[in-house]
Amino acid sequence: MQDPFTDDVPPEPHSTPAAVRPISGRRARNKTATRESIVSAALELFESKGFEATTTREIAMKAGVAEGTVFNYFETKDDIALHFFEAEVDHAIATVRADPTLKGAALEEKLFALVHSQIEYLAPYESFIGAAFVRALRPSSKLALSPRALELRARYLDFVQDLIEESLPKRRARQLGWIAPQAFWIYYLGVLLYWLHDSSPAKQNTLAFLDRSLRFGTAFLREGGI
Amino acid sequence: MAGDEGAARRALRMAAMSAGVSGSYIGYLVQRMFLGEEERAEKLRATHARAGRQMTGGLLSLRGPAMKLGQALSLQGDVLPEEMLAELGRLQMEAPGMHPSLVRAQFRSTLGRNPEQVFAEFDATPFAAASLGQVHAAVTHAGDEVAVKVQYPGIGDAIASDFRLLRTVSLPAKLSKVLSAELLDELEREIVAETDYVREAGNIEFFATGLQPLGFVSVPAVYRDLSAERVLTMSRLKGEHLDDVLDRGPSRETRDRIGANLLELYYFQLLHMKAFHADPHWGNYLFHDDGSIGMVDFGCVKYVPPRFVENLRKIFLYPGPRDSDEFRALLAERYSLYGKRLGDATMRALVQFSERFYGRVYPPDDDERAFDFSDAEFLRDYAAESLRLTRAGGALPEYVFLARAEAGLYQTLHRLGARVRTSQIVRRYLRD
Repeated sequence: MQDPFTDDVPPEPHSTPAAVRPISGRRARNKTATRESIVSAALELFESKGFEATTTREIAMKAGVAEGTVFNYFETKDDIALHFFEAEVDHAIATVRADPTLKGAALEEKLFALVHSQIEYLAPYESFIGAAFVRALRPSSKLALSPRALELRARYLDFVQDLIEESLPKRRARQLGWIAPQAFWIYYLGVLLYWLHDSSPAKQNTLAFLDRSLRFGTAFLREGGI
Repeated sequence: MAGDEGAARRALRMAAMSAGVSGSYIGYLVQRMFLGEEERAEKLRATHARAGRQMTGGLLSLRGPAMKLGQALSLQGDVLPEEMLAELGRLQMEAPGMHPSLVRAQFRSTLGRNPEQVFAEFDATPFAAASLGQVHAAVTHAGDEVAVKVQYPGIGDAIASDFRLLRTVSLPAKLSKVLSAELLDELEREIVAETDYVREAGNIEFFATGLQPLGFVSVPAVYRDLSAERVLTMSRLKGEHLDDVLDRGPSRETRDRIGANLLELYYFQLLHMKAFHADPHWGNYLFHDDGSIGMVDFGCVKYVPPRFVENLRKIFLYPGPRDSDEFRALLAERYSLYGKRLGDATMRALVQFSERFYGRVYPPDDDERAFDFSDAEFLRDYAAESLRLTRAGGALPEYVFLARAEAGLYQTLHRLGARVRTSQIVRRYLRD
């Protein structure tokens, strides 16, 4: 079966040769709209009912589609979650790239803008993020180690490496290339955990932690003994 | 004893660790100041001799939590040794500057929108540092030039956790005497209050209304709809800082007029409004040649109990001999407001303070006489008598901030070299 996520248009069930013909723009847009309504219905349920407790039937009902349609787009709930995380990373990268004031900014500010825009994107779904964390620890879950999850992480860390390369002296950036993105990934997971546990008003402590740790971390990247 | 100190050391080390994570002020300070206490004891003794100078000098350059802690320590125990003062000075620099992305994040978390959406123009580079954040220039959509104070994130929580820690630590005996539980409570209240910009907006409005009768003072207007807990938008006041005024070599008349206005401003607040601006940092005052004064930064405002003010009114310009029973009874009354009984040593220190300093700077029987503040001796007297009083156990909670405001006033009057009819001005406010 064709992987629905490598293609813009998911295949119909019982696909016929007609279904692989080039599809009109409107039809593609409808497909995208259906997919997004499934994702947003699912996220609302993940957040209010819990990830594990939410059924495909409930997602279908909330999205106003047949249960079979949900499976046409997403094989499992993990796939819906991954789709959301892909959109989150796309959004964060686009935010940093679209901000003209970040062009000449220091590395710590660019990384701050990146992580903070991710957190703002995730903020409405805080309990779901907590559940996803736990779920990702299971070997059977697709969230951490599936090819799709690894691809997403690689894309994210490539962008981090781009930011490092455009902000640090070339030689230094190359020296760090093998370790800095991996270290940043572990750091990012730590920030998320800190954020999830942050009970300060308006999660002020996460902002302070993010700022201070990035200052410290980028100073180390610049001068540290690697 | 050694065991106790070991526990204190571990706890202080924990404080230092938390400083690294979310930003701790007092934890960091205490760690720096006291971990090496034994080695420093010798040095400390040697520097105490120069302490009087610092009370009116160095302490005034401190801001924010460091200022308050420094002020409290200096009044409660011995005056701060120079090297502690240096540590405090370094501490206040610890609040790091915020880059534009952090300012915007903080702005969004407070007002829900980016500064560029809220204002017609917003300068991403701050024009001044505030004690707990930084100040940006902006223009409202209506075209008003404003100052926008943005707080560094997490300050309130960092301070609260610092105090929690200070309370749980079993401090070495010498230190716990200085940092009493009462003092910690008072300090925490004051410092935490300063992190609430909504409260500060209330302070500004209180002073804007209250100071109107004076005519020569202006305070900023608050833009409530552009302010919240961690963002405060105010109109920008015009005027020059004291250094710039002095650099131009102002006329005797100008210096005297500014001096008289500053003194009146102080007593109007204390005796009439029963509340005063307790942060006399030079950056908080703006001057004009006609003697008018702009006041900014109302984070540190102290409201004084009416009965304390009543007592001050009876004591100021007291006409009779100051070693009389009646005068002593008035002093005893003031301390009884705080449930304190005046011992002989404290009483002697108070009477001497009154005779040697207040009686001279504010002659009770000559309202026409102008006191010449260019005379440096009066500052030395003030510092020496304050120190004597503190050592005699005469510190009251109100003094923590009163002394700072008063010392700041004298320092400024001295730098102006102003001649002021002190008693004439004070007498205006001895009755309501």
